[in-house]
Amino acid sequence: MHDAEFNSQVRLEIYRQFIEKQSCPSKTDVAHSLCALPEEITRAYAELADAHMLVLQPGNGEVLMANPLSAVPTPFVVETWHPEGMRKWYGNCIWDALGVISMLATDGRVLTSCGCCGEKMVVEVKSKRPFSRPEGIVHFALPARHWWDDIVFN
Amino acid sequence: MLLFRSEDHIDRWCNAWHLPRGATLSVDQASQLADRWYSDRLSPQFRRKTVEEAHAIFASLGLTGEFWKLG
Repeated sequence: MHDAEFNSQVRLEIYRQFIEKQSCPSKTDVAHSLCALPEEITRAYAELADAHMLVLQPGNGEVLMANPLSAVPTPFVVETWHPEGMRKWYGNCIWDALGVISMLATDGRVLTSCGCCGEKMVVEVKSKRPFSRPEGIVHFALPARHWWDDIVFN
Repeated sequence: MLLFRSEDHIDRWCNAWHLPRGATLSVDQASQLADRWYSDRLSPQFRRKTVEEAHAIFASLGLTGEFWKLG
């Protein structure tokens, strides 16, 4: 199989499991699901990370970010509503948190707090229309060309 | 990218981090940016956006100038 095709399968499997389980799959989970060897998954992860399609955890090489989803808890909790009930994920930032709702093509809300004072803030999105309580402003600290210099800070 | 209660709170945060002020978006702009950036992420055909495609998305929301230039 061509590497690009395999990498695409790996990427889609990560997202499929992430959405289904509401938590990020491990490399072992993905390897098992695709009947692939661990080293094939490790290589695909590295290539996807090089292409800025994943961000990996230092050391273990597991997924840290499958944007807009975060594999670890963040101050950007995303809740979406489905026929089977509410589902929950974490976004990497306010842009990504709103992006989770867009990616899933559903309504939902982001539970977060003011980056300065920590006051609770909620952004509800219904039919693609956001409503922030209290009213909010989004701040991008770094110019676009520097976003990937330190993606975790960004 | 963080959400703040007010412009004043953005200034306080920038002072605390010793960072110059960046760019601000309304929540509506940020939501539209998220939608244009991420709505295709689950497609098998998804690929990383080119610089030109990213600039076009930014420009469609009025996000132009040096701050929004990639590469």
